[in-house]
Amino acid sequence: MVTADVPRRRRLRWQPVGYLFIAPIVIFFVVFVGYPFLRSFYLSLTSWSGFGTPQFVGLRNFTLMADDPVFWKALGNTFLFTAATTVLQTVLPLLLAVLLNKGWRLGVLFRTLIFIPAVISLVVTGVLWQLIYEPNFGSLNEILRRIGLGALAHAWLGDPHTVLPALIVVSLWQSVGLFMLIFLAGLQGIDPTLYEQASIDGAGGRAKFFHITVPMLRVVSGVVILLNLINGFKTFDLIYVMTGGGPNRASEVLGTYLYGLAFGSTAGGVPALGYAIAISMVIFVLCLAATVIQLRVARRTTDVR
Amino acid sequence: MSADAPATLRRPPEVRSEPAPPPRARHAVTRSAGYVTLIVVSAATVFPFLWMLATSIRPSNTVFGGPLIPRSVTGDAYRRAWTQLDYPSHLWNSIYVTVATVVIVLALSTLGGYAFAKLQFPGKQVIYVILLSTLMLPLTAIIIPLFLEMRALNLLNTRQGLILVYVGGALPFAMFLMRAFFETLPDELIQAARVDGAGEFRIFARIMLPLAAPGVATVVIFQFLSTWNEFLLAQTFLSAPEYLPLQPVLYGVVGQHSTDWPLLTAALTMSVLPIIAVYVRMQRRFVAGMTLGAVKD
Repeated sequence: MVTADVPRRRRLRWQPVGYLFIAPIVIFFVVFVGYPFLRSFYLSLTSWSGFGTPQFVGLRNFTLMADDPVFWKALGNTFLFTAATTVLQTVLPLLLAVLLNKGWRLGVLFRTLIFIPAVISLVVTGVLWQLIYEPNFGSLNEILRRIGLGALAHAWLGDPHTVLPALIVVSLWQSVGLFMLIFLAGLQGIDPTLYEQASIDGAGGRAKFFHITVPMLRVVSGVVILLNLINGFKTFDLIYVMTGGGPNRASEVLGTYLYGLAFGSTAGGVPALGYAIAISMVIFVLCLAATVIQLRVARRTTDVR
Repeated sequence: MSADAPATLRRPPEVRSEPAPPPRARHAVTRSAGYVTLIVVSAATVFPFLWMLATSIRPSNTVFGGPLIPRSVTGDAYRRAWTQLDYPSHLWNSIYVTVATVVIVLALSTLGGYAFAKLQFPGKQVIYVILLSTLMLPLTAIIIPLFLEMRALNLLNTRQGLILVYVGGALPFAMFLMRAFFETLPDELIQAARVDGAGEFRIFARIMLPLAAPGVATVVIFQFLSTWNEFLLAQTFLSAPEYLPLQPVLYGVVGQHSTDWPLLTAALTMSVLPIIAVYVRMQRRFVAGMTLGAVKD
């Protein structure tokens, strides 16, 4: 075994054994993250069915996108889904966290219950909500009928106009608890004397919320928004399970589109791997842009302090 | 000795709900409104689970059009899900893949996290930044090249291959968490042990690792949850039914048994119960694991 004797004799305070400690991580990273990631840059410039040699085609995959109506549809849906979930899954959890933070006898119970969906897999969530949305016997329509709103009963996932909102509601159901807890942790980091001071100065609840809570939660909010943006851009599981991108591509997003192209459920013909990887590059660039912007904003806000 | 670590990290974000000072009379109305809001939100959150449970224990002939709360109860759907879906073998696959992934991730992330926190060696910062640079890389962005690589390595359709991919994907974040925990431990412990002639690995395993127990628990729970719930990779890399863990099976049963709702909901309930049970018992660790990465800096 390597011991500390070696570096000590060298007088430098180095522990080269550290390389052994990190070697497994580095190897795993290179093989299962780094290499596939770098390779996707090259493969996005090729035309390839997955067998034989990839044929280099330059930027053709990216110009193909410009003329591909399905790509534009998927991109638009991705943006809609991301925008809606980011706004709703930031504002509602924040309000809930502020409310819960006021202290309630049953606070722990509320918190526990609201968080539960966050520990459930997206497959379970998707299947469960498919049954809830089912037009004839699903519990949503069932309830609407029983309370006399039967006219609103609807094929929620089968109608191109309601499918995206229906999916957004499911995403909201699953995510509110997690982001609420992140905000709660942030709220408890705020110095209570700020609020006391503000009360002495005569500030009301609303003023305190906008002038203390919101600014003090800027960093946490930035993280929540970033996580929401990335989750939105890369969204796949829920939509794949619940609608597969349908009906008629009404809920197709970049993730489901590229998956279909590569692994066959929507392409029908030969897998278009090069093109699919080019689309995955678009997802990557969107996530990267969100991260860079968030880091910039976060740096600026910390500078201000 | 370890008590001088910053309190925030030694005890990762926990959420308190202390009762506030008694509300003044003029706040009574807003307080009731707050209560109602919380009750409505909680009820809306829980309703799908209750409905799932209720459907799973109904007699099959009362599922469609029967009363919302079942009048009689049967465990028949659970029995059918257990046998017809070959549930035990998929459950075993889930357990096998999850436990193996958690164990490997834990072993390697503690080693690496410790090195990045406490050992000095040239190039450390650069390697660290590279490892973390892909933290936000979405899986959908590399799933195709990963698939091709697995095919080239003959690892497609093996549980071992799936475990390796899980480990690779999970390590950077787990290492990042463990590093945060190790950084809160005092250097003096290490220096004293070095003076006593202990080797670096021994210092790590015997002295530092036990002190990082809260971090270990956080990584275990976080990893357990994310591996147990993973769908995309399992669905893509495994095709032989005998290797499938629960998530792809649950996805598949909708197509095969689309009208047998008691069976579907029973299968869902069985897959969810272990997770919810662990969550309710170990809530604080769960919450810490899921929020720490986000709240930290």
